[in-house]
Amino acid sequence: MTKYVEKIFDIETGEETIRPYTAAEVAEMENNEAELKAKLATIHAEQLAKDAARQVVLDKLGLSADDIAALLG
Amino acid sequence: MAKQTFTTGQVLSAAQMTSLQQTAMGGGSTTAKTTSYVLVAADAGTVVQMNSASATTITVNTALFAAGDTVQIQNVGAGVCTITAGTATVSTSAVLTLKQYDGGTLYFNSTSAAIFFSSDAADSPLTTKGDLFTYSTANDRLAVGANATVLTADSTTATGLKWATASSGATGWTLLNAGGTALTGAATITISSISAKQIMVLVLNASSTVASAAMYIRPNSLTTAIYDAFGNAGNGSSTYSGSTIFDKRCLYQSSNGIPIGDMPNAVTGLVGGYVFIDKTDQTGYKNFTASGSGADNSGSSTGEVIYNLGGILEMSAAVTSITVATTSGNFDAGTVYVFGAN
Repeated sequence: MTKYVEKIFDIETGEETIRPYTAAEVAEMENNEAELKAKLATIHAEQLAKDAARQVVLDKLGLSADDIAALLG
Repeated sequence: MAKQTFTTGQVLSAAQMTSLQQTAMGGGSTTAKTTSYVLVAADAGTVVQMNSASATTITVNTALFAAGDTVQIQNVGAGVCTITAGTATVSTSAVLTLKQYDGGTLYFNSTSAAIFFSSDAADSPLTTKGDLFTYSTANDRLAVGANATVLTADSTTATGLKWATASSGATGWTLLNAGGTALTGAATITISSISAKQIMVLVLNASSTVASAAMYIRPNSLTTAIYDAFGNAGNGSSTYSGSTIFDKRCLYQSSNGIPIGDMPNAVTGLVGGYVFIDKTDQTGYKNFTASGSGADNSGSSTGEVIYNLGGILEMSAAVTSITVATTSGNFDAGTVYVFGAN
């Protein structure tokens, strides 16, 4: 059985059935997952860059992140 | 007076004239019978009266009567008397079965064909208080229905009618999938065999095996581009703060379904969502509202993504199922509740 399934609950009969995803559906899910991971990796890298740039400025000012938070309230 | 062939110069007696008059008035001499009888030529112009407590027949054969001959038939007995076509044909628009005191005129179109003109009015089929006079293949009765039922057309019944419970007015909300349905272990969860005029869907405590996997609600599992929505689908920064600015979208079109959240992974946090859909028992346009929370783009549990939508679905069928789906990974926690109202 594939790692992706659809669970179907029929409220009239109370029966639950499991339908394995088709090959096409599995391919789509794996593609979605790969795209999402790539997107998250990009966002994470961007965030790391922002954090690094912020730290450079804080170092210049001689302040910590807590100092900034206290100033901004 | 029985049918006669008069000769020139024949003189009729007073009694014969009286009998002739009676025959002309539709009465005349009577041949009383107590058992089944076969008409003979001499019955032309007379009254054949059956008087039996048992069922009997009066049989009509050919080559005995001439065109224009008549026989008056009466049943005065308790037994049913049936006019039976022997070798002649007998036509009627009424019935040939005569109850007690039924009768009529048998008129011969030819030596072999007669028509029975009944003097009896059509019998009423009604027998009981509340009966309705109706028709199936003949006059028929529809017995009165149970208290508070209403008369309803139904082509599957013999009379085309039935008594049925009147449709009720609006009802309250009912949880259709008792106890909710767990999302764990599947990428798609479908609640089927729904019949309701309005549907509410509530997803609680959901998370995914894939960080930031999106969660959607799909009526009838549709993934075609039928969803148009206005509202906020806001993405915040990875670090939530009171001054986070949300990206406000004014028009949201999706072929994945109605979005209600992006999920964190590994049950580090739980999110939920809500969808309401109106007119779900009809085709065409439907109104929906949706709201939900989601994890940030890094997959943490801070719930920075918020969906707040209202929109329109255009469907070619009534809604009979609701699907909760993720586009990546499987759900590893969560429950969906589907409520219906009529």
